Amino acid sequence: MSNQTATSPWKSLVQLPENIWRSIFRNPLPSSDLGRASTSFTNFFLHLHPVKVHRNSLRAAFTLGLGLISFFLFMILVVTGILLMFYYVPSTTQAYDRMLDLRGTVAFGIFLRNMHRWSAHGMVAAVFLHMCRVFLTGSYKPPREFNWVLGVFLLLITLFLSFTGYLLPWDQLAFWAITVGTSIASYAPLIGKEVKFILLGDSTVGQEALLRFYVLHVAVLPALLSLLVAIHFWRIRKDGGLSRPEEEDALPAEAPMTSVEVVQGPAVVMATSPAAAAAAAPVLQKRQYGIQGLVRGPFTKVGNVPDRSVFAWPNLFMAELVVFLITVAGVLLVSLFFNAPLEEPVNVMHPPNPAKAPWYFLGLQEQVSYSAFWGGVGIPGIEVLLLLLVPYIDRKVTGVGRWFARERLLANFLFLTFVITNVILIIIGTFFRGPNWEFISPW
Amino acid sequence: MSTRVTLAVVSFVVLIVHGIVFYDQFFNRWEKHQTAYFEQARSLAKTDAERHALDERSPRIEQIIVTQFGGSHVDRCTTCHIASDDPRFQGHAEPLTSHPYSAALGDVQNNGRWERRHKFTDFGCTICHDGQGRGLEVFDAHGADVFWPSPMLGYVTQANWHAEYKPKLTGKEYMQANCAQCHTEENFPGTALVQRGRQLFFEKACYGCHRIEGLSTGTLGPDLSDVGKKFKINYLWEHTVNPRAFQPTSFMPKFDLSDDEIKALTVFLKSRRGINFAETSLGQYRARLQQAKVEETSKPMASAAPSPARGEQLMGERSCTACHRLGDKDGHIAPDLSYEGLIRDEDWMMAHFREPKSKIPDSIMPVFGFADPDFRSISAYLKTRSASPALKTGEEIYKGLCSRCHGEKGDGKGVTYLYLDPAPRDLTKAAFMNSKTEDRFLQSLKSGVPGTSMPPWERLLTEDQRRAVLAYVFQTFVKEPRGQIKEHKVPEQNPIASNADSIHRGEDIFLQRCTGCHGRKADGKGPNSLDISPRPRNLRNSFFINNVPDKRLFDSILYGVQGTAMPSWIDYGLTQNDVGDLINFVRSLNSQKVSPPSEKSPTLTSQAVKQEVPCQSNAKCK
Amino acid sequence: MKTPAKPAIEETGDAMTRRRALSWLSGFGLFGSAIITVFSNLIFIKPRATYGQPNRFSIGRPDDFPSGARVSLDERRVCIVREGDKIAAISTTCTHLGCIVAVAETGFSCPCHGSHYDQDGNVTGGPAPKALPWFQVSLAPNGEVEVDKDTEIEAGSYLRV
Repeated sequence: MSNQTATSPWKSLVQLPENIWRSIFRNPLPSSDLGRASTSFTNFFLHLHPVKVHRNSLRAAFTLGLGLISFFLFMILVVTGILLMFYYVPSTTQAYDRMLDLRGTVAFGIFLRNMHRWSAHGMVAAVFLHMCRVFLTGSYKPPREFNWVLGVFLLLITLFLSFTGYLLPWDQLAFWAITVGTSIASYAPLIGKEVKFILLGDSTVGQEALLRFYVLHVAVLPALLSLLVAIHFWRIRKDGGLSRPEEEDALPAEAPMTSVEVVQGPAVVMATSPAAAAAAAPVLQKRQYGIQGLVRGPFTKVGNVPDRSVFAWPNLFMAELVVFLITVAGVLLVSLFFNAPLEEPVNVMHPPNPAKAPWYFLGLQEQVSYSAFWGGVGIPGIEVLLLLLVPYIDRKVTGVGRWFARERLLANFLFLTFVITNVILIIIGTFFRGPNWEFISPW
Repeated sequence: MSTRVTLAVVSFVVLIVHGIVFYDQFFNRWEKHQTAYFEQARSLAKTDAERHALDERSPRIEQIIVTQFGGSHVDRCTTCHIASDDPRFQGHAEPLTSHPYSAALGDVQNNGRWERRHKFTDFGCTICHDGQGRGLEVFDAHGADVFWPSPMLGYVTQANWHAEYKPKLTGKEYMQANCAQCHTEENFPGTALVQRGRQLFFEKACYGCHRIEGLSTGTLGPDLSDVGKKFKINYLWEHTVNPRAFQPTSFMPKFDLSDDEIKALTVFLKSRRGINFAETSLGQYRARLQQAKVEETSKPMASAAPSPARGEQLMGERSCTACHRLGDKDGHIAPDLSYEGLIRDEDWMMAHFREPKSKIPDSIMPVFGFADPDFRSISAYLKTRSASPALKTGEEIYKGLCSRCHGEKGDGKGVTYLYLDPAPRDLTKAAFMNSKTEDRFLQSLKSGVPGTSMPPWERLLTEDQRRAVLAYVFQTFVKEPRGQIKEHKVPEQNPIASNADSIHRGEDIFLQRCTGCHGRKADGKGPNSLDISPRPRNLRNSFFINNVPDKRLFDSILYGVQGTAMPSWIDYGLTQNDVGDLINFVRSLNSQKVSPPSEKSPTLTSQAVKQEVPCQSNAKCK
Repeated sequence: MKTPAKPAIEETGDAMTRRRALSWLSGFGLFGSAIITVFSNLIFIKPRATYGQPNRFSIGRPDDFPSGARVSLDERRVCIVREGDKIAAISTTCTHLGCIVAVAETGFSCPCHGSHYDQDGNVTGGPAPKALPWFQVSLAPNGEVEVDKDTEIEAGSYLRV
């Protein structure tokens, strides 16, 4: 303190950039474990992460990065979506014209639209694959049941977000896809008709529907999704990080751990008395800390497990950065080469033949062509219900954290049947259905 | 380390894509065009001030916003076509050329300086040319994108248009459709093709089936009042040439039209956009009032005493021969009327005029809502044509009278066959021809087949002539020798009494066995009917059914109809009693007398049909 | 002890340099992308085509304005002034707070806060801080007069037609 008062104004001016930098980023690039820990802890964006993560969580072959990809696609969607909002008007007379302007007049307009469109499709796919990963590695088992339930809701919201966005260009593709999609919803017993009416704000797709879908798409659903994502992330930490095989936590017989060896200790200390910690910094590298014992729950496996964890900085953050960049690069490349579709302006009198829902609902539409109620509402309803109940039905905690664990043969088989059936239905609906919903060959 | 390499590579990819996208935003083609324009204009400039002003200008998006034609048209065409209103660029290459001046467009010359009638600042570009005003790339702006509903009329064809017709769909004259949006008056010199198309609309009897607001009232085909708004010219052209090109189930006939006529019709139809720019809804309302007045005043004139002369005139004016044949005029679609006066009596003709379906239930002839005296005049005129044709041999008779429908090869595919329902009999099918008695064919020739287009030839052909033509048919078309006709043992009269029980049983059997072809309504339009030739019989055609004796029905159902898809139901387990019930059911559908429709109200017939349904309370029937 | 260790140290040295280089490369890519993104967004956010009336527009032929005419085009917010064979366009947007000034006998007067201007747009009263600007008027090749509201010119400069 005395040192600072002694400095001349000139000197403080020279130090200004560094001081500003310091005031924002309290830690220099870390060279010690304590530094690594406090880097994670003192940065707002990084403190969402644990200070140390289990090695297993970093194995690309285990997670495939699908959760992160979903999240990053959502980030891209938020950013591009907000930018697109500057030029979009949710009006039946103007929406399509604005699409034309985005294509022709607005700088980077077409590119932003491409990014938004392809990210949206990508997010639906990524979230679904993420769910497959979680199931096939048995990661929904206790204590992670509720996070699985949240995940199922996130999938539903993602689908609904994509669906509401589908209408906004107000072209033939959008109009009839939404007409078909909401009609599928109206097959629900008792409430179906009401749901459709409330969703569309009218008996047919029109200005009211466009406005409602717009509000849902840009405000309601993203807010809901963000909230659930936050809880989803929080639960990951509270549930003890990503799932891993039991063996990983098994106590090696010849190397018993002492109770003072703690994963998250330094951070806690840092939080309570940074000054003391900083003073002790040089010697801290070898010291162990005890946890304060405040937090209870399944994650505090302290002292009786082998420490197979690594510091989040830089291991986890580097991995996240790589996944982020790969996601961005993928979206950019796809957007560079493929334009988002824009079909004819809406012509209420002329439905295209066949009128198709968005691709992720084509499985439903295919089912509807066999039975309206069962295909559109009954079976999907049961499927969602089963998905939600999975962790409460299948409670045996074996085969967790490994792909296609032998103990989970039946569960995996059933789940894969469900996935493959739906994928096949979607493929049939997308490629093999022509005019009058008749079977055609795509080549 | 591998993570770091990936990171470096991927971040570089991201950078490169960013660079490409960023770079791509500049150097638009329109900027080059504008720069080129500034340079050329500079060399043409006469004063320093002009040159200075040009130096100041930098490329930017030019646009004209036109609101006076309903909605908001944003035309950015002048961004590339920046010299379009600069007379110094007359005759330069596109896009830096000046729009030509033309007296035909109303442009006037004042002191050697042209002045435009249609100022670009008032009209923009797409009002006349179509295309996509907001586009800044040629592909988008000119409307070559297959999804764009209005490509530049006469200049641009889209990739998915029929290759054969593409070259015919270019030419400035297509723009007349847009001129006619404001210049709605007839005989406007600039819209000659629209005018010709309008004439053809009446000459080809299109008005009989199609409604166009303010022009016609037909109801059989779709309303064409705003057809130009819904469809591109390729659709209008192709649909006119071949009505089944886009809709395989269309029953619109294929008319004999030359390319010029099709073009005129296409342009005329393209000009139909509901409310035109020049017509406000108030204007339309006034026009309708005016029209109603004209109709009222014209009625007494129409009811002038019916006379054959007036009939002949009407047949010309109202374009009967757009479909029918009369003497040497022939539309190649509907039956020959040359001897109609001999074949039919006046009552039949009048009933048929008022509602063609009242005589031939599946006729495609529209209801022409002419005044009764007009119909009487036409009947009277047809009656005057009472000379029998001088045809002697069977061959002559066949070629003169029969081949129009039954075809020159006797295969039932004469020029009219697509438009007749039931279709003309295929006379080459020996299985059928040789399984029916000669008497039955002679009977059909003599009295016709009621409810179908086969007319009674009694008054035209003597018995000998009829025998001669039948002999000709057997000799030329059937070819196979006629063996002994196998008589099946069937009752002469239906032994099962017709009562509610029997009809109910018959209905059950019908719903189980027959609906696949004959349809749930027994109208011959079951789901399989399209794949069957000849088509399944319409069992609600009362004229036909009521004329067929029980014996023939028993024979046809139990033992099938050879040469058709009707199987022998005795092989599928139907007993004689079952068939009796079936016959009672079918007869009950046709039991109500078809009242001779004295009024030309189509709702009357549909009501009659409703009353006929005996099983309305039956759940199966719904 | 040191001799065998040396290659190991060198290797780590190499690894360090490689790591450095890779970091720089990644940093360059990320930083470059970020800068391009920022600029792209600035370009994106600035409209290239407006939805209102354009700032450069044609007002018709010079003959449409007889000598001595002072025609206020309220939609365009300019007043076309013609004196003899000279023509000019004066803004009718009040320099005070942006109301539309009305053409009066003495010049222009603003209905909002009572600013007064003379016939050339100079302030004669009221709160207006400066004179009404004059816009560049030019003769387009098709013989029509064009006003460019993007270019202000010195008061009193007319176009000779």
